[in-house]
Amino acid sequence: MMPLTMMKAGEPNVIRKVGGKEETRRFLENLGFVTGGIVTVVSEIGGNMIVNVKDSRVAIGKDMANKILVG
Amino acid sequence: MSIKIALAGNPNCGKTTLFNALTGSNQFVGNWPGVTVEKKEGRLKGHKDVIIMDLPGIYSLSPYTLEEVVARNYLIGERPDAILNIVDGTNIERNLYLSTQLMELGIPVIMAINMMDIVAKNGDKIHIEKLSQKLGCEVVEISALKGTGIQQAAEKAIAVANKKKNAIPVHKFQAELESVLDSIEDKLGNDVPEEQKRFFAIKLLEKDEKIESQLKRVPDVSEEITLVEREMDDDTESIITNERYTYISSIIGECYTRSKRDKLTVSDKIDQIVTNRFLAIPIFAAVMFLVYYVSVTTVGTWATDWTNDNLFGDGFTFFGIDIPGIPVMIENLLVAIGCADWLQGLIVNGIVAGVGAVLGFVPQMLVLFVFLAFLESCGYMARVAFIMDRIFRKFGLSGKSFIPMLIGTGCGVPGIMASRTIENDRDRKMTIMTTTFIPCSAKLPIIALISGALFGGAAWVAPSAYFVGIAAIICSGIILKKTKIFSGDPAPFVMELPAYHMPTLENILRSMWERGWSFIKKAGTIILLATIVVWFASYFGWVDGQFRLLDTLELDHSVLAALGSSVSWLFAPLGWGNWKSAVAAITGLIAKENVVGTFGILYGFAEVAEDGTEIWGTLAGSMTAVAAYSFLVFNLLCAPCFAAMGAIKREMNNTRWFWYAVGYQTILAYVVALCVYQIGTLITTGTFGFFTFVAFALIIGFIGLLIRPMKEYKTTKSKSVAGAK
Repeated sequence: MMPLTMMKAGEPNVIRKVGGKEETRRFLENLGFVTGGIVTVVSEIGGNMIVNVKDSRVAIGKDMANKILVG
Repeated sequence: MSIKIALAGNPNCGKTTLFNALTGSNQFVGNWPGVTVEKKEGRLKGHKDVIIMDLPGIYSLSPYTLEEVVARNYLIGERPDAILNIVDGTNIERNLYLSTQLMELGIPVIMAINMMDIVAKNGDKIHIEKLSQKLGCEVVEISALKGTGIQQAAEKAIAVANKKKNAIPVHKFQAELESVLDSIEDKLGNDVPEEQKRFFAIKLLEKDEKIESQLKRVPDVSEEITLVEREMDDDTESIITNERYTYISSIIGECYTRSKRDKLTVSDKIDQIVTNRFLAIPIFAAVMFLVYYVSVTTVGTWATDWTNDNLFGDGFTFFGIDIPGIPVMIENLLVAIGCADWLQGLIVNGIVAGVGAVLGFVPQMLVLFVFLAFLESCGYMARVAFIMDRIFRKFGLSGKSFIPMLIGTGCGVPGIMASRTIENDRDRKMTIMTTTFIPCSAKLPIIALISGALFGGAAWVAPSAYFVGIAAIICSGIILKKTKIFSGDPAPFVMELPAYHMPTLENILRSMWERGWSFIKKAGTIILLATIVVWFASYFGWVDGQFRLLDTLELDHSVLAALGSSVSWLFAPLGWGNWKSAVAAITGLIAKENVVGTFGILYGFAEVAEDGTEIWGTLAGSMTAVAAYSFLVFNLLCAPCFAAMGAIKREMNNTRWFWYAVGYQTILAYVVALCVYQIGTLITTGTFGFFTFVAFALIIGFIGLLIRPMKEYKTTKSKSVAGAK
């Protein structure tokens, strides 16, 4: 398992775990970041990333992206 | 009897476009009671008895954002006759997540799959019969943008509302979960109507604390929760979320055929350029420059000058016919009907001039709003928030704070209103408090006056004003973040980026008008009232022991002058302790550009140019350059005009917070102006006095606040939804 921030753009990854504060974790889950879901990095600036999850693009800050574990 | 249909869907699913298409101009825009979430209601075109309610865009019926709480309280509490669930066809999986929750409410549901034109263009297929069968509601295909299918969708919603055919959810969770839900439903007993039982059972299992206020009696379900959490090794809320997505994944194959295509969509490709780590900032700077150049310096200025000089000035020629300006027209009318002199003065010099000066900014603002509406609806604004977040985060603000500040360069009122898009309560309050530090277009005449009168029009004065504003925002961010009320980790940045698309002209104009209108309304109410009060205060006063109407040049006998003299000592340490400057600063509270006009009157000119050229000499004689700069800084940073203060009060939605904001702004302005004057005087003349000492003490204190370490405070959980009930 590795944090999402380590992933290269364009490669699909399977979400293993979403960490972080409860409120934000819930919000991410509602947006489709569920265990077993696929997430693809679209672009990245300084750790902040734009990812594709369930056909929608979501921008997430570095601190949050670090808490999404993929593998 | 009227029918209420609620529009529900994810953010960016085209809900507002559909709402506009269904209701046309029959809309009432307001706020949901007690919160600053916009509430839109309208009558369906051609059906007087059908009311369409536009709910805020939400991803879920969970209790984590203000919008979700507002939407679900409405759905549970007011129970609309039908829900029209709008689903973005290009993003169906995620959108169906909300649909599964809407189906559980026990309200008739019609699902409208939107953006079918794009789905068809991509070569994808949605099998609506299958979808209807798997979710348990009727499904129609629409394109809100093109207007196809929307009438049919509305008709269907009316039909199910009339039949009162409540939605019965088809989707099921795994067996263990279902049996637990059954037992919770039994515990609810007769307190909850049969059709709502499943919704409440699920919410109770999810440990949703906010739902308890909706129930007469809260059954104890801790046993069920422990059982499920032990068996499935996760918390109940995540289990339910996962179950919903699992169900959607299991049916999506049958309901949706995706054509073979590139892995990256057009939006992804645009994002790879626009949010590229090297190109993002240059592209952004170019876009901003263009917006600013067109709306502030060229087209906007022409429009504003025309309004000020012609419409509210000397009149203009329209197809060869001379049309007088509005003030002249009104004056002629008043003379013709034989109106009393003082009333004429009040109407022409007070109301028309005051309100007119403010309305003069409307054309410029409208141009700016067109651009902003375009950037917002095409999807770029969301990327701007993302790009700027990295920078703004460093001083405790969110990337989303940038948009209000950008709008604030035009006018603080819509700028403060734009802070609504920031979900996090703390980030939003901080943005509201700091937005007006950026010089708005009404502060430009003050800058022009000071730079012209005392600095010989030096080129550095105007940019320095923006620099002061930006520095004030950055320092305030850093200082406020460390205070108790703003403490805690900033909310992590998570934001959905809508697909890029070409907005319709109608939507752009509508958004422009909504923002512009809120400003015009302000000019017609609060500014109107303030101008009347100030007019009376400046044209009435005691002359030789007699209280009477004053001549224009007798302003120094007025009530306002008396008021100015009584507070002017306050401004002595700032270098401009004469009553005229004090009065000018006070009238600046009505509208900042009034400062120039007031100086004009006080120095004996009935009317001055926008930058006050006539009084440059007199002003230069009455104060030093350092004092003038201190005056400028004070006026830039102190409490904004009444209109903007009104906006702060409304968006803070709390009187105490309003006073915090205005108090903070004024104190900061005072401190900075004092330091500017005292230190400036020390450098230019070498005078060292008591206040020079105070200034140094303040600077040391200020630096101390800036660099002091972050303290740990205990924060209460989920502040952002605290005001929701």
